[in-house]
Amino acid sequence: MSEQNSQNHDEATLARLIVITLNLEVQAAEIDPDAPLFDEGLGLDSIDMLEVALVVSKEFGVKLRANDKSNHEIFASLRSLSRYIQQNRAG
Amino acid sequence: MTSAGTPPEWTVRGERGAMPLLKFIVWVALRLGRPAARLFLYPICLYFLIFSGRPRLASRRYLARVLGRRPGAADVFRHYHAFASCILDRVFFLNDGLHRFDVQVQGEDVVMDILERGSGCILLGAHFGSFEVARALGRRQPGLRVTLVMYEENARKIRSALNAINPDLAMDVVGLGKPGAMIEVDQRLEEGHFVGILADRSLDGEERARYPFLGAPAAFPSGPFRMAALLKRPVVLMFGAYRGGRRYDVHFERLTDLSEAAPCGVRDDIDKAMSRYVERLEHHCREAPFNWFNFFDFWA
Repeated sequence: MSEQNSQNHDEATLARLIVITLNLEVQAAEIDPDAPLFDEGLGLDSIDMLEVALVVSKEFGVKLRANDKSNHEIFASLRSLSRYIQQNRAG
Repeated sequence: MTSAGTPPEWTVRGERGAMPLLKFIVWVALRLGRPAARLFLYPICLYFLIFSGRPRLASRRYLARVLGRRPGAADVFRHYHAFASCILDRVFFLNDGLHRFDVQVQGEDVVMDILERGSGCILLGAHFGSFEVARALGRRQPGLRVTLVMYEENARKIRSALNAINPDLAMDVVGLGKPGAMIEVDQRLEEGHFVGILADRSLDGEERARYPFLGAPAAFPSGPFRMAALLKRPVVLMFGAYRGGRRYDVHFERLTDLSEAAPCGVRDDIDKAMSRYVERLEHHCREAPFNWFNFFDFWA
């Protein structure tokens, strides 16, 4: 893994949460923060995405809405999802 | 999990073959009405009986199982005719034409109970008879709103077909091809929608499980049941059997309540719900055998 592909602190936390929630076989630290979460990449389906949304809402108090035009961008990668959570976290 | 592999047989063959037929029937129905459109069903079905190799074989395999005898050409014709009739009537159901039909409903109390609680539910159907009849009933019942979940490819086609018939309804379709699809489903349930999904077909690479169905194991997708467990909603079965002429028999049955599924018991609960679903599907296939519309080798 190259330097720019390493996870920052928030991304690492989120990666661990996703791996535990979905019971993934991949190591959290091995998730490329720029790789797509959905479909190819990490290979999550829309039901997995719902699980992620539910746990994100519980852990960070950030609601992910489906009709957001930016939905595709938010779910594009671990990095973009983490950024969205940090920007919208209460307090 | 989804994969980008080759699409399964039904997404390619079944839908591509039926689309020109669907468009033609819609066109006739809207211009000439149901009796005239129904006359066209005979030559159309005869054409398909003669020229459709694989769907005909699939129909015969299914009919042999469900009827318990060797099906003849007349049986296959009747099977195609029921399918074409349901496609045709869909146009009228979607176009406020419920009054044209004699619709018997069993288990309406199941629906009323959920409506009163305003909790929404997952409405599991199959490629069996008419699912649209439920949507038509929905519009007769104030407060009942039905959203359909389907594979994106089909959703696109259905949306474009619906736009021609009744644009309001195109809004009530959620496609599975985007990451936020299930989050959208969750929101609709929260608004009290009945979220319909046909739970008898899966895509390649999608998680599925085999259950005995009409005498041999067949693969069913576990996605719809995972979804129900995760969304913690009641699950209601819906079968709308076409009985010939203007008659439809609609059955609503409470399947299970995955809303109380304990986290550690989820796997078991999903398994129980799936096995129950397949059992009930088999029951309804035996009651109304010509209503099963999966024209590919289901037991492959």
